[in-house]
Amino acid sequence: MADNKEVLDATAHEVWDVVMVGAGPAALSAAVYTTREDITTLLFEKGVIGGLAAITDWVDNYPGFPKGIAGLDLAENLRLQAERFGAVIELGEVLSIADKGDHKELDTTSGLIKARTVLIATGSDYKKIGVPGEEEYYARGVHYCATCDGAFYRDKRLVVVGGGNSAVQEAIFLTRFASHIDLLVRGDSFRASDVLVKELDKHKDKISVHMQHTTDEIVGKDNLVTHVVSTNKAIGEKVEFKTDGVFIFVGLSPNTAFLKDGKVELDEIGLVKTNHELETTIKGIYAAGDVRSGATMQIASATGEGATAALKIREYIDDQNMGA
Amino acid sequence: MAKDITIFTTNTCAYCVMVKKWLGAKGHNYQEVNLDQHPERQKEAFEVSGQLAVPVTVITKEDDSKEVVVGYNLAKLASAVS
Repeated sequence: MADNKEVLDATAHEVWDVVMVGAGPAALSAAVYTTREDITTLLFEKGVIGGLAAITDWVDNYPGFPKGIAGLDLAENLRLQAERFGAVIELGEVLSIADKGDHKELDTTSGLIKARTVLIATGSDYKKIGVPGEEEYYARGVHYCATCDGAFYRDKRLVVVGGGNSAVQEAIFLTRFASHIDLLVRGDSFRASDVLVKELDKHKDKISVHMQHTTDEIVGKDNLVTHVVSTNKAIGEKVEFKTDGVFIFVGLSPNTAFLKDGKVELDEIGLVKTNHELETTIKGIYAAGDVRSGATMQIASATGEGATAALKIREYIDDQNMGA
Repeated sequence: MAKDITIFTTNTCAYCVMVKKWLGAKGHNYQEVNLDQHPERQKEAFEVSGQLAVPVTVITKEDDSKEVVVGYNLAKLASAVS
């Protein structure tokens, strides 16, 4: 078995069997499978190894961890497992992919890289809401990563925006720092799982839930956030929430800007289209995880898709070797 | 060339892990200030960066000028330590 391989970098092979764009759960899982088949595997990560999973406080729904696991620890375990079999992770960015028939060429921050196949697994990032004050106070009161920036709000008031799993989970995480949290939910019910909503109820001494409240503006003074202007849609009235900071979790936006040349087909919201074998509209280029159109945006699904993509990549390479 | 590098981090910050990993891979030594262990130094991190965010990497150059990089920004880090 390919254990304890020497440490390599992106220049180790003239043509890699597979280059994976991203190093989140989908790509790292795929890499475990490909490297165990001695398929030379290079991953490019421009952000955090482990993706959004790594910046999630706690993961309770990933099978095999009966007590749950910290997102950062799960990401580290995935990385170690992939590297154990020889996956090479390059900290850099893929800028574009060109199809050259029997191989693909990737323009990257580490130079031009050639690969027989490509797996797109760039995942998604948290969306912005696009209200006044959001850009202006970014990182000075407006945040998208509770595990990174929550510590700056010890004994302070916070507003958390969103009604899905991330918003509820991160609001609960932030109670370890904040004195009080106003959770603004645009809809009239949570999209978060029942388990999380029940957990939220245990924190009602610190978290006030405001259903049917839009977030209209983030207002500040002297470079720091002071309050959020909201509308209570139930009664059509403006409300102000005094706060020291705002954490926003209102859904995901796919990381597909590097595919802007349009050769890999995207759906109407920018997710990568694939067939049932997870192959994109270009032969030899696959997609898996949160970036894929139809993905269920779960870590467990992403790792499963990564494994499936790896097996399809192996079949593609085997066919290519046999001249099919 | 960097003479000294200090990183302000927190326990749960994945981007902090990445900055440390990148600096290590490039052969740079650094000092870490963990704000969960030293909350009294949060003000210092805010004053040096102007932001309520980590990681904050402070690079002191040979001429004692300082460059501050907030977040995990490979391009800015590479330029700052070169």
